[in-house]
Amino acid sequence: MLKLERLTVAYPDFVGRYDLVVPRGALCAVVGPSGGGKTTLLSAIAGFETVAAGHLAFDGIDLLPLPPARRPVGLLFQEFNLFPHLTAAENVGLGLRPDLRLSPAQHAEVEAALDRVGLAGYGPRRPAALSGGQRQRVALARALAMKRPLLLLDEPFAALDPGLRRGMIALVDTLRRDQGLTVVMSIHTPEDVVDRADLIAFVDGGAVAACGPPAAVMNLPALDAFLGR
Amino acid sequence: MPRPGLVAAGLAAAGLVALVILAALTGLGQGGGSVDWSVLVGPYGRRVVVFSCLQAGLSTLLSLALGALLALGLARRASFPGRQFALSLIATATALPGIVVVFAVVTVYGRGGWIGALARSFGFDPGTWLYGLPGILIAHVFMNGPFCARVLLQALEAVPPEQHRLAAHLGLTPRAVFRHLDLPILGREMPGLAALVFLLCFSSFAVVLTLGGGPDRATLEVAIFEALRVDADFARAAMLATGQLGFGLVLTVVFVALARRPAEIAGAGRAATRPDRESRGLRLFDLAALAIGALVVVPPLVAVALAARRLDTLIARDVMAAAATSAWVALAAASLSVMLAVAIAVAARDLRRHRRAGLGRLVATIAYAPLALPSFALIAGLFGVLRRVVDPLAIGPGMVVLVNALMALPFVVRLVEPPLLLAGERHGRLADALDMRGLVRLRLVDWPLLKVPLRSAFALAAALSLGDLGVIAFFGGPDFETLPFLLYQRLGAYRLDEAAAVALLLALIVFLLSLAAHSEPRRDAEA
Repeated sequence: MLKLERLTVAYPDFVGRYDLVVPRGALCAVVGPSGGGKTTLLSAIAGFETVAAGHLAFDGIDLLPLPPARRPVGLLFQEFNLFPHLTAAENVGLGLRPDLRLSPAQHAEVEAALDRVGLAGYGPRRPAALSGGQRQRVALARALAMKRPLLLLDEPFAALDPGLRRGMIALVDTLRRDQGLTVVMSIHTPEDVVDRADLIAFVDGGAVAACGPPAAVMNLPALDAFLGR
Repeated sequence: MPRPGLVAAGLAAAGLVALVILAALTGLGQGGGSVDWSVLVGPYGRRVVVFSCLQAGLSTLLSLALGALLALGLARRASFPGRQFALSLIATATALPGIVVVFAVVTVYGRGGWIGALARSFGFDPGTWLYGLPGILIAHVFMNGPFCARVLLQALEAVPPEQHRLAAHLGLTPRAVFRHLDLPILGREMPGLAALVFLLCFSSFAVVLTLGGGPDRATLEVAIFEALRVDADFARAAMLATGQLGFGLVLTVVFVALARRPAEIAGAGRAATRPDRESRGLRLFDLAALAIGALVVVPPLVAVALAARRLDTLIARDVMAAAATSAWVALAAASLSVMLAVAIAVAARDLRRHRRAGLGRLVATIAYAPLALPSFALIAGLFGVLRRVVDPLAIGPGMVVLVNALMALPFVVRLVEPPLLLAGERHGRLADALDMRGLVRLRLVDWPLLKVPLRSAFALAAALSLGDLGVIAFFGGPDFETLPFLLYQRLGAYRLDEAAAVALLLALIVFLLSLAAHSEPRRDAEA
């Protein structure tokens, strides 16, 4: 279970204070207006923000003292998930060994991870030779290869067209169920996830303003302006 | 449809640049009468070419090494007390006129300077080791090392913050961060930078003339100067200038092929902390790198400040007159250069956007042509053409402004072209749809992105013109003196206290221009 209690991130122009509980194996979609604090929330969980106060734990383990690399977190950004000078396989391999001295077994793991995201045979290609959706799949393959139980996705499919975007969300959902991952995904288009998410967290003004099952949260008046109702 | 008014202005600007260059080339072609290749391939010519290449190659290697060390250190140490001041010193060293650099280097490392005094205090004769390759290398590294550092730092800082977060998330070691984040950037930027620094050092004039130590250690530019002004041998000057032109063309083609569009800040969100900055080993490494950088950059700047004991000499009539001349020449040259650059860049962009890519590329390339034709080849050629119809010295001021503007043009275009392209990419279609034209479009669409780079470009062009010694050395005289010309004369007459005051004045003006040029642009509308 992922648990945030009064997790506080403070900047001169922005203060985020978050409370959130995500059960193990759940898919939590984080929605809300731009500038509301979604990215800051995910960055704080991943370890990229200086936390001023509060608690952050996953399965009872306090994450705050841990540096980003030692948190049980797999991660995808909207862009720049891959190093352009490395091949797809090398980008995945970085998740297993940062010096890329992979054993034969690790090479096989890389191939298997690429296979799971539908990119078998794409290992030798560089990012420039891949489409936007394929690049995100490579990043997803790396997150899978790292075998981290908590997957954070910061609007990773926002640049994809609607069909591809829904396909990627379906892929994430399948992988979540197969591997028992806990997924927290910020997204601009809540309609893409209402039928898959266990929880919707509505983030606005640097706080989780509402959180619960999609059917309950999506009908709250607090979301009217965000959804344009 | 490209906008006819602005395109016509750009074509006219490119035409003017091309006309001046063609006139210079004609002058070079006619100047020598019969072609005498022995000037270039004979023992003297070979010696000059070999020395030009040797000093430029070594200067480039050392400058890149220092620049990379400083840039990496400053990129990893994104905040420490005095970082902004250090960046200002780096900017000042980059823009300091060559003749002031010479004065500073002699004051620190010369026989009568700090190192000389130190050597004597230990009972050693310092000798004249500075004059020749050592002095040339010290001066070139002082000027170009910080320049490399600035270019590389800008590229390193443009890495999207997501990539640093990714590196931290993956637990990359400092070595892996260097391999996967820094090295690709350095590898991408360095070839073009090396070509540019080599070109600048290859055509170095003031430094080689004053620190070279004699005809045995002359570059092609110094050899042209000696042929024209000392020996009045125009045929030899024309052949040497032709050789210089050949090298310049090759180096410019290499530079244009290798140069990248300057990096823009990419990525989203707040800046990320580099994951390797906590490494203790790298802390020591960066401390050493910054200390080496300080050792190279700070003493000459301090020397200029401390040596100026006779500030009262600055109010002398000839200094005031030279300062006024420098000011109007610099302002006129910078204005002309910026106007030409904006006109050319706008026309090139509009032609490219409206499926006249070939003509657009040609117009843009003309702006870089002065790189291929070093100032001395340009001057020698124009000298050859003009002397048939007019006394070139009689129109000296106009020639100095024109040549200084053209010499600054490639650097100015490099600063104004990217924001104009960006404005076109972002808002071009919208502006077309709204039928925005001419100056209205320039003001509403281009100006918001252009104004900061334009200020930098103007300050850079003014600084380059202000520090010029090469062009004024040809056209200058008792009635037409600039500050660098005056400094050169005072150094030659061993009036060192007065020279120091002039050097300080020049350094201060350049420092202020550097501050204006490199003040941080606001990143509004980018959040």
